[in-house]
Amino acid sequence: MSIRVNPNILPDLVSSIEQVQQEAQTATQELATGRSINNLSDNPAAAAALVGNDALTGENDQYLTNLTDLQGKFQAADSALNNAVQLMTTAISVGTEGANGTLSAADRQAIAQQVQGLQQQMLALANTSYEGTYIFAGTNVTTQPFVQNSVSSSGVQYNGNDGVTTVQIGEGQSMQTNVGGDQIFTNANGNVFKAINDLANALNSGTGIDAANTEVQQAFSQLTTQRVFYGNALDRVQNSQSYLNQEQVNLSTQQNQLVGANMTQVIANESQAQVAEQAAVSATAQILSLPTLLNYIK
Amino acid sequence: MGTLSSALNIAVQAMLANETALDVTSNNISNANTPGYSRQRVNFVEAPPVEYGGQLYGTGVQASQIVSLRSGVLQLLLNRDTQQQSQYDAFLTTMQQVQTLFNETSGNGLQSSITAFFNSLQQLSSNPTSMTDRQAVLTAAQNLAQNFNSISANLTSLQQNADTSVTQSVNQINDLTPQIAELNGEISGAVSTGQNAGSLMDQRDQLINQLSGLVDVSEIDAGNGNVTLTTSAGAPLVVGNQSYQLTTQPDTATGFQHIYSLGSDITSTISGGALGGALQVRDSTIPSVQSSLDSLASSLENSFNTINQAGFDLNGNPGGDFFVPPPAGGVGAAAKMSVAITDPSQIAASQDGSVGDNSNVNAMLAIQNQGIVSGQTPLDAYSNLVFQIGNDVASAQSEQQGAQASIQQVQNQIGSISGVSINEEAANLIQYQQAYQAAAQAAAVISSLTQTAITMFSSSH
Repeated sequence: MSIRVNPNILPDLVSSIEQVQQEAQTATQELATGRSINNLSDNPAAAAALVGNDALTGENDQYLTNLTDLQGKFQAADSALNNAVQLMTTAISVGTEGANGTLSAADRQAIAQQVQGLQQQMLALANTSYEGTYIFAGTNVTTQPFVQNSVSSSGVQYNGNDGVTTVQIGEGQSMQTNVGGDQIFTNANGNVFKAINDLANALNSGTGIDAANTEVQQAFSQLTTQRVFYGNALDRVQNSQSYLNQEQVNLSTQQNQLVGANMTQVIANESQAQVAEQAAVSATAQILSLPTLLNYIK
Repeated sequence: MGTLSSALNIAVQAMLANETALDVTSNNISNANTPGYSRQRVNFVEAPPVEYGGQLYGTGVQASQIVSLRSGVLQLLLNRDTQQQSQYDAFLTTMQQVQTLFNETSGNGLQSSITAFFNSLQQLSSNPTSMTDRQAVLTAAQNLAQNFNSISANLTSLQQNADTSVTQSVNQINDLTPQIAELNGEISGAVSTGQNAGSLMDQRDQLINQLSGLVDVSEIDAGNGNVTLTTSAGAPLVVGNQSYQLTTQPDTATGFQHIYSLGSDITSTISGGALGGALQVRDSTIPSVQSSLDSLASSLENSFNTINQAGFDLNGNPGGDFFVPPPAGGVGAAAKMSVAITDPSQIAASQDGSVGDNSNVNAMLAIQNQGIVSGQTPLDAYSNLVFQIGNDVASAQSEQQGAQASIQQVQNQIGSISGVSINEEAANLIQYQQAYQAAAQAAAVISSLTQTAITMFSSSH
């Protein structure tokens, strides 16, 4: 005798239709969103990894914004220092001219006048500001750093400080964003303002011109040395930018691996599910319309 | 010695027996689609023979008993699976909504507002005097606080929904148990008088199955057709023809409904059914998510307050609280999170008092990589929470699917014993029809023979 089976086959039939419908729905949702994970429960580990991935992507965007800001600031500083270096070159050439013993006192004083003009221009450059704050003021950025002061040997007084700031430009990476204005313009190894001031005084008095010229030379090389900081900083900004851009591509690839739907696979799944659904529905209809013994009782 | 009249009697008995069988068959066919119906069968037995002249004579057939074909064991399995499935259903109903609150896969979770807040500080770090950037930090901090507030409020309202369904489940239980108790009485009455209690048992099985969907029921056969129902921890629900109501009372601390049986609080002992699932979400899962959220919020608030207080604001004044200090112990921190600073210049970006110094902003940024939340960085703590929620839902889903599959299998097994097969009933119908026709024919023949006997002498006249 055969084993009696459940005569009510409807629940089994309906559940197999529901199952293929579920598969079709999953495929449709993946197609619509382009993601294989639409709920945390679809893949909890990937969803958690996505939190980290999204945060890194957001942070990198900010680092790139920081770098663009820094680039502007560094370019402003670099260009100011470039002009300052050119002023010093001019100071060197007029100083050499003034050292010529054949010049009259009046000629020398005329040159001294020119040198004093250079001092004024240099002052303006040292007080360069970027987006409302002084670049060469240390962290005392809202106070004009260099002001004229006849009592001082250099003719100017520094109102800034030695403070430096660092800004994050990547995960665990930060860079110094400024050099104190006194280090650049009133450095003990070459004081730009004092050198120019001394040159003007020497030209006026006619004594110590050679010594003043040497001083200007020293200040020139010191200024050039300090300018290197901003040149290097600009290079570093560019390197970091290209690194971060590459990193963004990597993160987006990772994100796609974590949650992106494999479209080819999804489309295949969907059409497979459709075929399966049709098959299940048609089989159910056929089974349910099979005659029973009752149909044959006359 | 047999007689014509006894033969006639036997034939009529056979007609009656087959009528009973046709009646049962017809009832089976009628109830082929009735949920919970167990097919019935007539047991035919030979009628007791009589002795006459040292000889035993058969006296025909009797429809002795109508029995329901059912398996108590399978029914218990079905109830157990139903209880599990309903529990996971109730759990998932709420938790699927909880997981959308943390849905990072659509990029709208808490992570984006945490990152945005830290990014606004990065921006401020490169421009510590900028009022625009300072304002942006405040806005991002307020967004973060609001995000914490709204997730926490949503969790609370989902918890309240679960609480409502606790009350509903208790009401449904209280509706079912008196019906089961009444059926217990009717069934034991029928059993004691030897009657067929099949359809009453079908009804009771159905009701016990519904009850299993609501709470973890333990079923004991108390004899005489009675079943005793308790919760799995032993709180009585139905004993004999007596039912015991569960009552609810709001807890003084949480305001949520607690469940009482005979005056004692049995809330924590309920483990299954829709009630068990709702209690699990309400009393365990959501509170645990809330507490992780509170711990994240309060750690961020405390860390920012400490650092802001250590620095100087744009006006050179010492910094104050960045966020309104969280409640002691952090309970409710996420719901109450708010920014204390109102004026952007009060953000203490500087450590030495000079306006261009960003060291204190950098110290705030460093929080991102510090283990401030029980040794974890804020983001790690948050992604662990996301994983935890996703995992809770995923494992409940697979348990629920398992229970579902098991229910389907048990139902097939039950169907193989109790289900009505139309073909089988049709075959029976033909069989009983033929037997009835045969008996009727026999009765007609005997009747005609009796007639022959009666007219035997009158015809000889």
